[in-house]
Amino acid sequence: MSEFAIETEGLTKVFRRLRAVDEVSIRVPVGSTFGLLGPNGAGKTTFVKMLLSAAHPTAGRAMAFGRDTREPEARRPIGYLPENHRFPTYMTGRDMLDFYGALSGMNESARRNRITELLNLVGLDERAHNLRLGKYSKGMLQRVGLAQALMHKPKLLVLDEPSDGVDPVGRKHIRDILQELERQGVTIFLNSHLLAEVELFCREVAIIQRGKVALTGKVEDLTRGSGYRVEGVGVPEALATELRSNARTVSSNNGTLELLYATRDEANHAVDLMRRQGCAIEALARTRSTLEEVFMKTVDPGAGATQ
Amino acid sequence: MSAGWNETKALVTDTFREAFARRVFWGFFGCCTALLLFLIFIMRVDVVQGALATITIFGQTSPARDVENLVEGTQTVIAMVLYFAGMALSVFASAGLVSAVFEPGRIELLLSKPVSRVHLLLGRYLGNVLVVAANIAWLVGGSWIIFGVKTGVWGVGFLLSAFFTVFIFAVLLSVLVLCGVLWDSAAIGIMAAFAMMVITPILAQKSTLERLLDSEWSRDVVRVLYYVLPKTSDISLIIRHLILGQAIDSWMPVWSTALFGVAVLGAGLWRFERRSF
Repeated sequence: MSEFAIETEGLTKVFRRLRAVDEVSIRVPVGSTFGLLGPNGAGKTTFVKMLLSAAHPTAGRAMAFGRDTREPEARRPIGYLPENHRFPTYMTGRDMLDFYGALSGMNESARRNRITELLNLVGLDERAHNLRLGKYSKGMLQRVGLAQALMHKPKLLVLDEPSDGVDPVGRKHIRDILQELERQGVTIFLNSHLLAEVELFCREVAIIQRGKVALTGKVEDLTRGSGYRVEGVGVPEALATELRSNARTVSSNNGTLELLYATRDEANHAVDLMRRQGCAIEALARTRSTLEEVFMKTVDPGAGATQ
Repeated sequence: MSAGWNETKALVTDTFREAFARRVFWGFFGCCTALLLFLIFIMRVDVVQGALATITIFGQTSPARDVENLVEGTQTVIAMVLYFAGMALSVFASAGLVSAVFEPGRIELLLSKPVSRVHLLLGRYLGNVLVVAANIAWLVGGSWIIFGVKTGVWGVGFLLSAFFTVFIFAVLLSVLVLCGVLWDSAAIGIMAAFAMMVITPILAQKSTLERLLDSEWSRDVVRVLYYVLPKTSDISLIIRHLILGQAIDSWMPVWSTALFGVAVLGAGLWRFERRSF
């Protein structure tokens, strides 16, 4: 068994003259949570389609647990929730899970036992179980889609915008389910535009731009050490004006002035000035970049510089 | 249970479920049932002293000794109506069921499952054939029983006509599949299948056409088209002969049409196997 749940080697897709995916090589270790990011049209969806063999690569190959995903058997341990899915509206939630469960190789009794359990797990009430999908809301469709992906207890879950159209409570619920799966050792590959969601959930990310991997690494490493936050109380207006001139961002709330500096020296200088004038230091801490900042710097360095 | 049976059953069941939802199945079923009820009421049998005396169908009364001819004649009419009109309706109704599978957002999920593309498409194809076969079996089987019970005529030729009607539908469905895979279009598939239903009876008159055409190459074109395309008209003659208990001159129209169906379906599968979605 391979140590990688997903492994792509020089995966390339060319549409006429457009290189939608350009020699992408990614390795996702078994049991990890991996986020795929990129602006619209970067090639993420094409990459996922090749990973699942819906699109054939022009060059390179994609493997799941060491097997080429063009072989049907290699796709057996994969659960997939597509973006912009069009689930058959004539099916009920139960029918849908039964159908996709059967296609995943589950026998009838195994399907019967699993359907109710999963529909309850994703938060669909009894009434929804036998309701046609045509009557489901967007959020309910996402939930039943997730249940479908989990039906055959996959070892690798590929989710394309899993919380699209789901309310904040539902998102938290989905995240809790995914975290439980992660604890169980399921590898989760997340393709999402919601950077905060990816940052909250994924341990590793890859950013794709114009079909190429522009950046890849552990979220913790990528967001490490970007500045210093100083919070002071009772800062006179004149000093506040002086401090603002060097700060990256400034905010004031209930008499507390919060300043963010790019360097340690600037932060120390601000502390010195505040202490000299008798202001209390409420907090002094090193800050991290957000994944959004990392993303913006990667896909649009010009925009990142002006922030 | 053999490997793949679960998946095949799921694909077939899904096709039926979709046909039910689209009311295609119920439309068919309703028409067939209406025809069966019509048969029950229009066919009157008079029994005198325990023996069949006269039979009336479509207002035509015949003495009992001619009953077999009358039943076979009526069955031939039903079989021909079913063969041409039923087949046209079946093609029209099934086109959407084939192209629905290729919808973006649906096909990706199907292809992500551990089922080969050939298996997926053949499962859907089989489901479609069975939807139509179920209705044809209901109509032909039902009317065969009505005729048998009322008249005592139990000829198997009429039952065989159901098989040939399903067979020719399966061949035309392969055209729908190929068009669906190539262009994602139900409309093109319907046009192609209807074109064949119109052209092939004309080609069946190839000896007349050969006399009318003045160049050898145009006669060759007619001959090639005749032998390559499905022979709907010739097969309708075979059905008629079977019902009337007459000998069949040649089975060539059947096997050459089967070859056409296999080739077109094979081309559809080949293209589907290589296509990126």
